[in-house]
Amino acid sequence: MKLLVWLSLFAAMPAPAQTSVGWPGYGGNPAGWRYSELAAINTQNVERLAPVWIRQLGGGGNETTPLVSDGLMYLTGSSNTAWALDARTGQVLWSYRKTAPSGLNLCCGQVNRGFAKIGDRLFKVNIEGFLVALDAKSGGVLWETKMADYKKGYSATAAPLAVKNMVVSGIAGAEFGTRGFVDAYDAATGKRLWRFNTVAAEGDPGASTWGGDSWKRGGGSTWITGTYDPELNLIYWGTGNPGPDMNGDVRPGDNLYTCSMVAIDADTGKLKWHYQFTPHDVHDWDAISDPVLANLTIGGKPVKTLIQANRNGFFYALDRTNGTFLHARAYTKVTWADSIGPDGKPVLLPGNEPSEEGTRTCPGLGGGHNWQPQAYSPQTGLLYFPSSENCMLFYKTTQDYIDGQWYQASTVGGNEHGTGAIVAIDPKTGETRWHWDMISGTSAGMLATAGGLVFGADGQGYLIAFDARSGKVLWKFQTGDRVAAPPISYSVNGRQYIAIASGPALIAFALPK
Amino acid sequence: MPLKLFPLIALAPLCLAQNPYAGDPHAAEDGRVVFRIYCAPCHGIQAKGGRGPDLTRGTYAAGDRDEDLYQTIRRGVPGTEMPDFSEINEEVTWHLVAYIRSAARHEAPPKTGDASHGEKLFWSKGCGGCHRVGSKGGTLGPDLTRSGRQRSYAYLKESIVQPDADISPGYETIEVVTRDGKRLTGVQRGYDNFSAQFTDMSGKFYSLDRSDVSSMKREFRSVMPGDYGKRFSGTEIDDLLAFLMTLKGTGVTQ
Repeated sequence: MKLLVWLSLFAAMPAPAQTSVGWPGYGGNPAGWRYSELAAINTQNVERLAPVWIRQLGGGGNETTPLVSDGLMYLTGSSNTAWALDARTGQVLWSYRKTAPSGLNLCCGQVNRGFAKIGDRLFKVNIEGFLVALDAKSGGVLWETKMADYKKGYSATAAPLAVKNMVVSGIAGAEFGTRGFVDAYDAATGKRLWRFNTVAAEGDPGASTWGGDSWKRGGGSTWITGTYDPELNLIYWGTGNPGPDMNGDVRPGDNLYTCSMVAIDADTGKLKWHYQFTPHDVHDWDAISDPVLANLTIGGKPVKTLIQANRNGFFYALDRTNGTFLHARAYTKVTWADSIGPDGKPVLLPGNEPSEEGTRTCPGLGGGHNWQPQAYSPQTGLLYFPSSENCMLFYKTTQDYIDGQWYQASTVGGNEHGTGAIVAIDPKTGETRWHWDMISGTSAGMLATAGGLVFGADGQGYLIAFDARSGKVLWKFQTGDRVAAPPISYSVNGRQYIAIASGPALIAFALPK
Repeated sequence: MPLKLFPLIALAPLCLAQNPYAGDPHAAEDGRVVFRIYCAPCHGIQAKGGRGPDLTRGTYAAGDRDEDLYQTIRRGVPGTEMPDFSEINEEVTWHLVAYIRSAARHEAPPKTGDASHGEKLFWSKGCGGCHRVGSKGGTLGPDLTRSGRQRSYAYLKESIVQPDADISPGYETIEVVTRDGKRLTGVQRGYDNFSAQFTDMSGKFYSLDRSDVSSMKREFRSVMPGDYGKRFSGTEIDDLLAFLMTLKGTGVTQ
């Protein structure tokens, strides 16, 4: 009898503690917030956070964002590798590997930034420009589609974006005279549904922004994942530098749609609007950083915004319904522009053209904020990202284009010692709320949680938890290798985890039981 | 372009003894462009050396054959500051070799100094107190056992008379003020956002947390005295340089 009472009591208890909350896509939600609703780990207890498992994956360093669903973690590694792990223990359930061809033309190593997932299907790019669908249960290959030819300088590194029944993917290779694009593929078959070219060709709107036939080598790669607004049915994607990077003389004009944000109709692949952050870029300031979609109240009015800490040193807010420029503000040292005018165009400062003898400009080639994923917390209303404080000498030269060969037309130099910071910006105004100084920049991304926390990693391998409101460091852990990936959070059976790739390892943290 | 990343994956090296692009001016020009991106930060925009060796001398630390240059670029030189550049593809690596060959001017550095007198000065006037040569010397400053191969003549000269001009990575100066107002200065052994490890001039090792001291900073200057340009006569500096240029790390396996 007693037993029956106890059983009925337990049966009557709600079981929210046993639920599992995942990490569904590259940016967390489709708006790219990188925000977890989980709050079991919070400002009051984060000091007790500790590693619970480490999985050594081999190969090179990881830039991946793992996905988590129903207690399983799906992650990609460098050089065409991927795994499914038990998210609770790190046990490997299956692995995937495909040998990359030789003769790749890569600017920055055989990196990969993660999966997209629709139902039981996982999607990733391979470095040689292929899009691959895997069975989430087994890791078996369902289909492979060639997006572009690696022999011409294309490569692929970004996590795809899941939009309805489509897999949307970008491409890399703007240092090799390629022409960037955003593609959509049928998730079931791998058939290409549309392609949006990021460089306007002869006859296209925007073609007049390219002198002569320079558009043919125009660059505009799309090497970081975009975001999606289902209400507007628009896909937002940032585009990379024009080619060649540092010699703009051979491509007179604004060079649309490079260094821009493009809003693409998800059903047709047609351009809805564009906004160019850096017209006629000569400093390699890709606008590829994840476009974060946030609904803000600006001047008393609700606005559907797109916010981004751009590589050119300015934070921007745009109206994402139509691309209207709202405001911009420098978050790091900037010498190339005085400000961004009310018309959304930079007010240029003289003396920043790359030259044969070298021209000093701030920020440097890596920019104020590069690809490192930003996080937006609806709890604090702040955007978090790592910033670099650096200046470089930009050199220019003339260079003949050879199909598939490196086409940067010079380089950068200088011997200055840059520093870095984790920055919290109020996107309603662009004002910096807090700024945690670092001895160098970092390649790691950010995570915000409902526990009032923001996680990031510094350039020396520390994973750090900050109070999201004040920027105070509440916890840190030396991961033992370079961190070039963003943290994520998920729960399994009610226990919250924080996970991040460090070097070739994946480390999961939790509060002690 | 994404952030410059050091290579993560080694590709299978192509083992050819000769550069298939030897003497090809287009290959050398392509190599020059790539050199400016990857190599110039250490070897100088004209390949005349700096922190990295002068590559215009026509003789190289890791071997003088095309294949040696190729492998040095692809694999790096373990134990030195030369990383591997395996992400540069085979063809472009050969273009780099072609450029380096084209840049060689086959000029010997000035031989005005007396190396044996320079050696005496090195051990008697303080250099050896901080710098190691072979099995002798101190550990506070960079090891100079291979300085004749690793550094250019001009760079070594600059390092003697202007030690702050360019600091070897890892030899920056750490300055700490403790809570009780004591000032500690030393050579960096480690430095991050939370702590510093350093050795003071007496050789004592410290490991301190930023949160436990009043201030902690790294300065891009050397603890080496800045007045050697005055302490030594011009002839003595020539002699010292002649000695340093003889140091080729004999006995070090390549």
